[in-house]
Amino acid sequence: MISEKRIILRNSGVINPQSIEEYIDAGGYKSLSSAFASTPEKVVEEVMASGLRGRGGAGFPTGIKKQAAADRDTGKISYVVCNADEGEPGTFKDRIIMETNPHLLIEGMIIAGYSISAKLGYIYIRGEYYDSVRRLQHAIHQAYARGYLGNDILGSGFSFDLEIKPGAGSYLCGEELTLLESLEGKRGYPRIKPPFPTEKGFWDKPTLVNNVETLANLPGIIGHGSSWFRSSGTEKTPGTKLFSVCGDVKKPGCYETDAGVILNDLINDLAGGTSNGKPWKAVLLGGAAGTFVPYSFSGLSLCYERLKEQGATLGSGAVIVIGNERKLIPLMQSILMFFRHESCGKCVPCRVGTTYIHERSLEIPAAGNEARISILEEIVNHARQMAKSSLCPLGQSPILPLGTLQIHFTEMIATE
Amino acid sequence: MVTFTIDNRTIQAPDGSNLLDVARRNGIAIPGLCYHHKLTPTGACRLCLVKVEGMNGLIASCTVKVAEGMVVTAFDPELEETRRFLLNYLLYEHNDSYDGTYSDEMRELIFRYGLDKPENRYLKPNWEKINFKKDDSSPVLTYDPSKCIKCFRCIKACDEVQGKNVLSFTERGINSFIIAGTGIWGGSECDGCGECIQLCPTGAIVEKPNRDIINLERIEKKIITTCPYCGVGCQIELLVQDGRIVRSNGVEGVSPNDGRLCIKGRFGYEFVHSPDRLTKPLIKHNGLFEEVTWDEAFDLIAKKFTEIKNKYGPNALAGYASAKCTNEDNYLFQKFVRTAFGTNNIDYCTRLCHASTVTAMLKAIGDGAGSNPIEDFETTDCLFVIGNNIIETHPITATYVKRGAAKGQKIIVVDPKWTPLVPYATVWLQPKLGTDVALLNGLVNIIIKNGWINRKFIEERVEGGMEAFNRLEKLTATYSSAYASEITGVQASKLEMAARLFATSPTSMIATGMGMSQQVTGTHNVFCLINMMLITGQVGREKCGINPPRGQNNVQGATDVGCSPLNFPGYIPVKDDDNRRRVAEVWGVPYESLSPEPGLTTVEIMQAAYEGRIKGIFIMGENPMISDPNLNHTEEALKRMEFVVVQDIFQTETTRFADVILPASTWAEKEGTYVNSDRRVLRGRKAVECPGEARVDWKIIHELAGRMGKPMPEYRNESEIFDELARVTPILAGISYARLEQGSIQWPCPDKDHPGTQTLYLDRFNTPTGRGKLFPVEYIPQNEKADADYPLILNSGRLLYHYHTATMSRRTKVLRDFIDESFVLIHPGDAKSYGLTHGARVRIESRRGELETIVRISDDVREGEVFMPWHFTESQVNRLTRDELDPYSRIAPFKLSAVRITKI
Repeated sequence: MISEKRIILRNSGVINPQSIEEYIDAGGYKSLSSAFASTPEKVVEEVMASGLRGRGGAGFPTGIKKQAAADRDTGKISYVVCNADEGEPGTFKDRIIMETNPHLLIEGMIIAGYSISAKLGYIYIRGEYYDSVRRLQHAIHQAYARGYLGNDILGSGFSFDLEIKPGAGSYLCGEELTLLESLEGKRGYPRIKPPFPTEKGFWDKPTLVNNVETLANLPGIIGHGSSWFRSSGTEKTPGTKLFSVCGDVKKPGCYETDAGVILNDLINDLAGGTSNGKPWKAVLLGGAAGTFVPYSFSGLSLCYERLKEQGATLGSGAVIVIGNERKLIPLMQSILMFFRHESCGKCVPCRVGTTYIHERSLEIPAAGNEARISILEEIVNHARQMAKSSLCPLGQSPILPLGTLQIHFTEMIATE
Repeated sequence: MVTFTIDNRTIQAPDGSNLLDVARRNGIAIPGLCYHHKLTPTGACRLCLVKVEGMNGLIASCTVKVAEGMVVTAFDPELEETRRFLLNYLLYEHNDSYDGTYSDEMRELIFRYGLDKPENRYLKPNWEKINFKKDDSSPVLTYDPSKCIKCFRCIKACDEVQGKNVLSFTERGINSFIIAGTGIWGGSECDGCGECIQLCPTGAIVEKPNRDIINLERIEKKIITTCPYCGVGCQIELLVQDGRIVRSNGVEGVSPNDGRLCIKGRFGYEFVHSPDRLTKPLIKHNGLFEEVTWDEAFDLIAKKFTEIKNKYGPNALAGYASAKCTNEDNYLFQKFVRTAFGTNNIDYCTRLCHASTVTAMLKAIGDGAGSNPIEDFETTDCLFVIGNNIIETHPITATYVKRGAAKGQKIIVVDPKWTPLVPYATVWLQPKLGTDVALLNGLVNIIIKNGWINRKFIEERVEGGMEAFNRLEKLTATYSSAYASEITGVQASKLEMAARLFATSPTSMIATGMGMSQQVTGTHNVFCLINMMLITGQVGREKCGINPPRGQNNVQGATDVGCSPLNFPGYIPVKDDDNRRRVAEVWGVPYESLSPEPGLTTVEIMQAAYEGRIKGIFIMGENPMISDPNLNHTEEALKRMEFVVVQDIFQTETTRFADVILPASTWAEKEGTYVNSDRRVLRGRKAVECPGEARVDWKIIHELAGRMGKPMPEYRNESEIFDELARVTPILAGISYARLEQGSIQWPCPDKDHPGTQTLYLDRFNTPTGRGKLFPVEYIPQNEKADADYPLILNSGRLLYHYHTATMSRRTKVLRDFIDESFVLIHPGDAKSYGLTHGARVRIESRRGELETIVRISDDVREGEVFMPWHFTESQVNRLTRDELDPYSRIAPFKLSAVRITKI
C-alpha cells in the first residue's frame, strides 16, 4: 500500500492560499535567499544536477533548457514564461498548484528569472481558469508589497516583474511556440521550429518556457539541494510527480507521489480502485495526446524512461481510467472530435486530417467487424502521415492514442 | 557561399538562403503553394517537404536555410507519396472548378500529380459540406472560401508586402476562412490594391473587373510597361484580349515596385477603352465642335499659329507640355515650341507641384530630383515626411516606408492634416498652415543648441563652411522651440523630439511634398529643409538626402527633356550659349533661331493671356481648367486668347475653350520612356491601338512642325527620338532603348558604360563649386489671412482613389465605387460653431470664387482649418485658390486660401 508523498502540495489545503504570511510561516520564499546567495550560473548547475524534467508533457531536461536560454546573448533581454495553459484533457494538476499554493509558483518563477538573468516573467494561464487567475493575481500583489517582486528583490540587486496573461480558449496555445504568438497578442498559430524559444522566443528574445509544476519544483531544489530532490522518484525521472487520476475510479483526484510509481498502485491505493471494483479495460496515459495501455501494463512504472520503452507516454501525468464496461469507440470518436475542434487550420495535414479521420471514425459503429478493422487501419495510416508531415505537435499527436488503440485494442473495437 | 547537394546535384548558394528558393532557382521543381519569395516562410502547405541528412523526419524546405555540406533529398518515392497524400487532402476541402480567368498554381500541381483523373483521387470531396460563404462585398475582388487553401499568402501580402494588415483568418481548422478587418471586405479598411489577388495561388481571391470576359487562353499579348498614374513608375504587365486591356498585374522582381501595385495601377486602366475617348479631330464652328479630317485640322492650326507669330511675335505663343506623355512626346514638343513657335514659353503642371522644390534644390544642391533610390525609404533609420500624404499619393513608395516602420524605422510626420501615415509615425507635428519656415527654423535652432550639427560635413561640403553656418545660426537664433511652438502651434517637446531623431539617427532622409511646395513661400520652405539636412550631414551618404516623390508618371522626365521655360534638356539654362550652339547643331537649326530669353511659366502664361500678351497656345494633355489656381481668372484668360489647341484623350474642362481639339493617345497606345521619382528611366510599351483616328502624340507634333515649315527628321521609331534626346541631354547621354531592355537606369548616366546613379551627392553637389549652399530665410506671415468675412483656412489635396483632374480615374468604375463625390473636412469644433452637420450641403466662398460640396466632420484637421480634395469637377477647388505666386519658382499657393462656409 503506497501513500502520497506531498512536496509540491505540502501546503495545499493546509495554508490559506491567499495569505502570503501563512506561506512565509510555512517556509516560503526562503529559497530565494539561497538562490541570491549563489550565482545564476550555480542555480542553473543545481537544477541540472537535480535531473528535473519538464512536467508539461515532453519531459525535456529543465536544466538544459535553462542553460540554453541563459547562454544566449548574455546581458541582453530574456524572458521567463510559465506555461499554465493546462488544456490537455484529463489533466488538472497545474490548477491545483495555482489555486492552493500560488506563491510556490511565484517563488519558482523568480528563481527561474534569476537563473537566466531575465527581468520579466509572464504566466500564461488557461482562460477558463478563473480561480487560478484571481488567486495568482492576488498573490502577485502581495509579493510586490512584500518586496519579493519588483526592483532589487531582498536587496539582492536582482529585479523581476511578473504579469499574468489569460488565454482565450485554444488548446493549441499550450504548445510553447503558439503560446508565445498568443502572448505577443497574435492569433494562436504555431511557429516554425527551429528556432526554439530559448533562442528566439517572446519578441524574438531568448525565452525560458516552463510548465507550472516544473517551476514549482525549483524552490525545493534550490532550498534543499539537488541530492535531496533525487531522493524521490527514479534515476532518470527524479522527484515527485503530480498525477491527475480520473475516469472510472472511486476517488478521482490529483495525487503527488514518487515518479515511477506503479500504475495499479496509483489507481488502487491512491484513487480507491476502479468504480466497480473490477479490473480496468484500458488506461489513457497523458490525455488526448497520450497513449492507451491495456491491463497487462498495470505493473508499469510511471516514469519517462520505462514508459518510452513500452511505447507509452507519461505526458502531463493524466491517468484516465477506463472501466471494463465502458466502450472504446465513442471514446476514440470523442478524442478525434477534440483534435478536429482544436486544429488551428494552419497546416494542411492537420487541418484536413483531423476532420477526415474524425468523420471516418463516425462510420465505425455501423460497420461490420472486418470493415471496422480496415477503417481503424486507414485512420491510423492517415494519422501516421499526419504525424510525418504536420507543422506542430497537434497534428503529430493523434497517432499516439490511435496507434496504441490499434496495437492493443483492435479486436475489442471490432466486436464492441 | 556554401556548397551542398540536392538529389546528388552539387549546388552553390549564399549562406543562409532559403532552401526551397535556391532549389527552384536551380530548376529543381519542388512543389509548394504557401511559399512566395516576397513573403516570410509559412510552412503551411507542407508540399515542399524534403529530407535533410542529420535532421529528424521530413522538413518543409521553405523553412530551412542552406548550409555548407547539407545533403538534401527532394524527390524519392516516400516524399512524392506524401505530396500526393497532401494534395488529396487539399482536394478534400477544395472546390477545384476552374473558369480560366486566373492562373492557378494548385491546378498545375493537380495535373502534375495526375489527380485530374478522378480514379487517382482517394478521398471524396467534402468542401460542399463546409458552410462557406462567398464575400462579394469589395468593389475590386471576390473571395470564395471554397477555393481557399489557407496558405496565408494573401494575409502576408497585405501585411508584409503592403504594410496594411487588413486580412486574417477567422474560425479554426477546416472551417477557417479569410476575413478583412473584422468581417467582410466591403466594410473593412481594404483599399483595393489587390496584392492579395496577385499572390493568391488558387483563385480564391479574384478580380472583379472583366471577370465575365477574360479568358487566359485567349490573351493575345502580355505587355510590360510603366503605370500611367503617379511618379513611382511601377512596372505593370498588361493582358490584352480582343484588342482590349483586360488585366494589369504587378511585375515581380524589378524596381521600383517588385510586383506591388496600388488600386490605380491594378485597376485604373478602364479609361483607355472609354466610349468618351476622342477619336476624330474637332474644329469649333460657331461655338460647336465639328468632326474634321486631320488635314483640315493641321492646316488650320499651322495657319493660325503662323499668323499669330507673324503678327505679334513668337512670344505671343506658348505651349503646355504634359507630365503624362512620354519623354519622346515631350522632347519633340519642347523642340516644336522652341523651333516652330520660336519661344521659350513652354511649361507644364510641374510648375503647379514641385517647381519650388526644384528651384530650391537646383540652387542649393544642384539637382532637381530625388537623391535616393526607392529602396532607401525602407532601410533608412529615420524618415522625415513633410507635407507629403505619401500613403495616398505615392502608395508604393509608402509600402517601403511601412515595411521600414515594421522594422523599427523612426518616422517623423509633419502635416497640418492627419494622414494615414500618422499611425506609423514616431512623432506627428501638426503645424498651422503656412508656418513651415518657422517650424523648420525652430528645428534648426534646436539642432544647433544641442550640438547635433555635423561640423566636419559643414566644413568639407558646404559653401562658405562654418562662416556660412554662422549666418544660419544667427538668423535662426530667435526661433527657439518656445517661439517656433507659438507660431506653429506644435508642442515644443515634439519639436525637440523631431529635431533629435532627424539629427542624431545614423541615417535620415527627407520626403517632401505638395504641402511644402504649393505655397507662396514654397522655395523658402525647401531651403529650410535643405539647411537642416546640410548642417546635420544627413546627405552625401546612402540612405540620406532629400526626395520629392513626383506626382505624375513623367513629371520628372518632362523637365529632364527640356519642357521648361528656363532650361533646355538636361537642366541647361536657355541662356547658355555653348549649349544652344550644340543643341542647334543637333536639331539642324540656326543657333540664332533659338531664343536665349527665358520664357513664361505655367501660371504666368495664363496671366499674360489675360493681359493680352499671349494670343495662342498649344496644350498637350493638360487640364488647366481644373488644375490651375484661381480658375475664374484662368477661364477668362483662355477666352481672351485668339487661338487655343488642345491635344487630349478626352473632352475636358479645358477643351471647351479650344478652337481645335486633337485626339491623342493614352500611355497604353505608344512606345516610349518615362522617368520616375528616383530618376529611373523606364520603358513604356504599346499594348493596344489608338481608337478611331486618334494618333500618337509625338506624331501629331512631328506633322505639325513640318506644316509650320520647321520639319523634324523622319524618326522611324521612338528609339531614334530617344537617341537624339540623349545627344542633347547630358544626364541621359548613356541611355538607349537597347540598354533599357536589360532594365531601368537611374540618371545621371553620362555615357554608355556608366551604370547609372543610385544615390546623388555622394562625392559632390551638382553646384558650380561642388558644395551645398545654405539659404537662411526668415519666417514671413502669409498675406492671405482668416478674417471676419473669411474665417477659415482651406487646404487642398488628393485622395488615393482619384488622380489629379480625374479625367482618367473617374472613368474607372472601381475607383468611383470607392469614392465619387467631393467633400470638405471640418473640425468638430468649427462644425459646431457654424451649425454644420455631417453630410450637410454647403457653399464655400473665397475672395475669388465659390463652390458647393458636402460636409464631413473630422478631427483630421485643426480647428480653424478645412480640407478639400481637388479632383472633382462639380466642386472645383481652384475656383477658391489664389494665383499669388512664389517669387522664385512661380508656383501657386494651392494649400492656403481663406474661405467661409455656409449651409445651403
